[in-house]
Amino acid sequence: MKHLTKLVCASAIAMSSVASSLWADGGTLVIASTQVPRHLNGAVQSGIATAVPSTQIFASPLRYDENWNPQPYLASSWDVAADGKTVTLNLVQNATFHDGTPVTSEDVAFSIMTVKENHPFKSMFAPVDTIDTPDAHTVVINLSQPHPALLLALSPALAPVLPKHVYGDGQDPKSHPANSAPIGSGPFMLEEFTPGEAIVMKKNPNFFIDGRPKLDEIIVRIIKDPSALLIAMENQEADMYPFMAGSQEIRRLEKADHLGITNEGYAAVGPINWLAFNTASPKLSDVRVRQAIAYAVDRDFITKALHRGTSQVQRGPIIESSPFFDASIPAYDVDLDKANALMAEAGYGDGMELTVDYIPGPKEQQQSVAEYLKSQLKKIGINVTVRAAPDFPTWAGRVGGHDFELSMDVVFNWGDPVIGVHRTYLSSNIRKGVIWSNTQQYSNASVDDLLNAAAVEMDPAKRADLYAQFQQQVAADVPVYWINSLPYHTAYDKRLTNLPTGIWGTMHPMDMVEWSE
Amino acid sequence: MPINYILKRLGYGLLLMLGVVVLNFFLIRLAPGDPAVVIAGEMGGATEEMLESIREEYGLNKPLLTQLWIYVSSVAQGDLGESFFFNQPVSKLIALRIGPTILLVIVAQILSIVIGVFLGVLAARKPNGIMSAFVSVFATIGYAVPVFWTGIMLIILFASTFPIFPVEGMQSVKLRDANIFIRSLDITHHLVLPAFTLAIIYLAQYARLSRASMLEVLGADYIRTARAKGASERSVLFKHALRNAALPILTIAGLQFGNLISGALLVETVYNWPGMGRLAFDSILRRDYPTIMGVLFFASAMVVIANLITDLSYRLADPRLRGKS
Amino acid sequence: MSDLEKTLRAQSPMAEAWRMFRRNIPAMFGLIILIMIILTTLYGAFVFTGDPYEIVWAPHEPPLLTPEFPLGTDYLGRDIIAGLLTGGAPTLAVGASAAIITMVIGITLGAFAGYYGGWVDTLLMRITEFFQVLPALLFAMVLVTLFSPSLITIAIAIGVVSWPQTARLTRAEFLRIKELEYVTAARAIGAQNGLIMWRVIIPNAAPPLIVSATLTVGVAILFEAGLSFLGLGDPNKMSWGLMIGMNREYILDAWWPVTFPGLAIFLTVFSVSLVGDGLNDAFNPKLRER
Repeated sequence: MKHLTKLVCASAIAMSSVASSLWADGGTLVIASTQVPRHLNGAVQSGIATAVPSTQIFASPLRYDENWNPQPYLASSWDVAADGKTVTLNLVQNATFHDGTPVTSEDVAFSIMTVKENHPFKSMFAPVDTIDTPDAHTVVINLSQPHPALLLALSPALAPVLPKHVYGDGQDPKSHPANSAPIGSGPFMLEEFTPGEAIVMKKNPNFFIDGRPKLDEIIVRIIKDPSALLIAMENQEADMYPFMAGSQEIRRLEKADHLGITNEGYAAVGPINWLAFNTASPKLSDVRVRQAIAYAVDRDFITKALHRGTSQVQRGPIIESSPFFDASIPAYDVDLDKANALMAEAGYGDGMELTVDYIPGPKEQQQSVAEYLKSQLKKIGINVTVRAAPDFPTWAGRVGGHDFELSMDVVFNWGDPVIGVHRTYLSSNIRKGVIWSNTQQYSNASVDDLLNAAAVEMDPAKRADLYAQFQQQVAADVPVYWINSLPYHTAYDKRLTNLPTGIWGTMHPMDMVEWSE
Repeated sequence: MPINYILKRLGYGLLLMLGVVVLNFFLIRLAPGDPAVVIAGEMGGATEEMLESIREEYGLNKPLLTQLWIYVSSVAQGDLGESFFFNQPVSKLIALRIGPTILLVIVAQILSIVIGVFLGVLAARKPNGIMSAFVSVFATIGYAVPVFWTGIMLIILFASTFPIFPVEGMQSVKLRDANIFIRSLDITHHLVLPAFTLAIIYLAQYARLSRASMLEVLGADYIRTARAKGASERSVLFKHALRNAALPILTIAGLQFGNLISGALLVETVYNWPGMGRLAFDSILRRDYPTIMGVLFFASAMVVIANLITDLSYRLADPRLRGKS
Repeated sequence: MSDLEKTLRAQSPMAEAWRMFRRNIPAMFGLIILIMIILTTLYGAFVFTGDPYEIVWAPHEPPLLTPEFPLGTDYLGRDIIAGLLTGGAPTLAVGASAAIITMVIGITLGAFAGYYGGWVDTLLMRITEFFQVLPALLFAMVLVTLFSPSLITIAIAIGVVSWPQTARLTRAEFLRIKELEYVTAARAIGAQNGLIMWRVIIPNAAPPLIVSATLTVGVAILFEAGLSFLGLGDPNKMSWGLMIGMNREYILDAWWPVTFPGLAIFLTVFSVSLVGDGLNDAFNPKLRER
């Protein structure tokens, strides 16, 4: 029956007098996604949903390979001064925006300042003081302090180069109409953006790298219902499904003959699933209680049983696949006796009541673990009430507003620890009302010092050491109990080659991806 | 058809819409939580300055009545405001979705009326026969089954066991560039399951209603006259009786429109149909108040228009009412 | 009851109706099923000690495989039967209270409109039309979202969007009955308006109102199921609609967590409408065509 449908559809396509772009030179790539982007400008909006299309439409100074090495993109070469306070970018000469205007250093300078002022990740470009543009293809970034994270911040997902002649008109970039009809210099141009439905991008014929992109068209198709998405992949309605994290999805698509599954391409994202403690709440302010809970939770059960073996254990604030990860930190392997002892020592031998929140939406990483906590923490005398939120803003309001005791959460590393890790542990980032700030209200001066020092340390070895000390300290303090990394996988049609498996995965220009037949 | 009457009804309809607009406005303002925080949350977090600039931009700082006046006058000019979530005007978002919803609702309505009436007429032929009993049972079952459950059951059936119909969306993305004929076929292919799911509930009602209506009519004098004059059974049923039994069906059809939209909301959610209903649901989950208000406005407008059409066609159909104003 | 009232009241239609009802097979069938459902729900609410939220087994255990869990488990490993037994209570409670709210608002407004006529009627009818224009489910969703989902807000929201139909029916009945002889007689004797409305007309309008009430309960149950399915129900009260909504994304792997609660909803509404139909036929013997 399935074949009958395919036969009918194939005949329909064949009968159609217009040769569908499916059979043209480069072909069409259909990417299935459950995420709904608000618009397509990654300079003023964080998140995967925006990054995937934004990195096709906008180019950035640098791009990255699988080994965390920066590669030339809009900048053909770059130089970091010895004192680390000046970074010079030399731009390519032939890059143009989709409307034909050449890309100049002014555009790059403007874009970096726009990101600095509008993007929620304040730490990315905070040390940028001024940017000089001595000529049309040279950009000199002057920093107030050394900033080793800068080069990673110049990635496509974080520093899209916007056309100054469009965005420099005085309107607020966060709500600029061009965000939904963007003009960039990337390998693909926006053809159609139907909010909540689909994003259609066509090949940029004047892309500044010869011979690229290989594909004629990329379509991002938004399907929020997981079952429908799986059916679409199985029926070849979609060719690629990145950021797939559900174990039943992974197991099911593994069985599809025409699809391959990979877990590569997520090294920089660093998505950590954790249990957050509101350390300012009286019951959780005692570190022994937090450690007791840490000892009670069984990561192996969660990853092997709840997640059916698809996710990996995560023991600290820095993703385990990062070069900065310190494997010697205390892991709190499950030990109920120790947990009970700590509870008694903290004075809660008779038990306590706690509520746990979770992000509504896909259940396996959030709700399932919250429910597991309920039954597991009973064993150390904690009576857990699982508190559901009807929608994301409600949950974000509670946690951001510090109106919670325990909460499940997912926070990304975003490449360099400065960008995505610091925000959780710096006491200066305790900002009530802002989600994914230091909502745990954790404050440890030595941790602040370590992080601030690591942010400006240019020597890689010294930097790694500072981060090691940081990890040891927070692992002891457990403001957050890290459980697993999100098992992001990509399902893809096996006929595709040059898959986006670099550190940024699909949040990176897919100008090399092509159909092999 | 007295023009005065039409104008009066139109004017009254507009008054109703004004009421809807004002109601929307106050309802949303009653919502707990700060809209600026909601908008900021969608951006990924915000500082206090950002929150202030958001408030400025969306006019959230002005006094309530000023905001109401601004809102009402914008709506009158066709501006339903801008979505909190997407960077786009609400009217544009709705314009993209209204077609699929109207398509779904109208096809479902036609299906349910045509099939329902047909079944009802068949049942009325033999009031004590099997068909009649079947219609009774079917009518009650169709009414009692939750529409979203029917949809899910059909998806399970047609996704794996009999994959002859697509279970998601309105068109195949790979047929985007095909010609209009192929695309229409494709949309029809996708429309089958959602339209049937939505039609089943009302189908049952129309079957029962038309059976009852026909039975009443079939006992009338003019029917006996027609039969005595030798008219065929089919002619009696469809030409004479049905025409007169049609009136109550028409009335109900009009009144049901509001319910049809509610049903469409559930069907669109289950089948990922890109209509207004799904937009409403997604917006509610995102607390995108301008869009929610916009959809409520539009949906109410559709009901008002449907009522108007029903009312006018009622008067057209019933010659007794035509002369009155 | 005073002699006055006894005289004013027409022959009780109730006893006669019950006799007709008893002879109506589908109606009795519906009544029996309904009683069984109510009893099961009461059992589930007050006697059953299982917790539908407790994880008791492996996720997605198929039905009939494990003796302790004949209907299997859901995506978290929770017992489907526990969900079915405890899910009835919120569903029926919301359905019944929403119907009560609907009837109270609808009857009151319809009574005043039908009895007093004139500007009262016009005003109330305009208000009724206004509420009928708002698409019911959508408006209820907005209300529930604004005021945070809980059993009470849901019942109120459903009540607020459903009363127009009852109001119209009541008004039509009042218009019809107030011209009848015994009402004119009552006025002639000098009975007060209130007495006439509530003690004379309402009891005689009772039959269609009772039928309408049963149908309203059915609609309210479907409404609650829809809201819970969409995720706008009370998340702390397991209801059948909530079970369907929560398990929807796994239907490719597990059909039973969605099928059984749906059957439960269907049976409940089905039996309620059979009873309603039976009552309708019982009160109107002339319309009983087969």
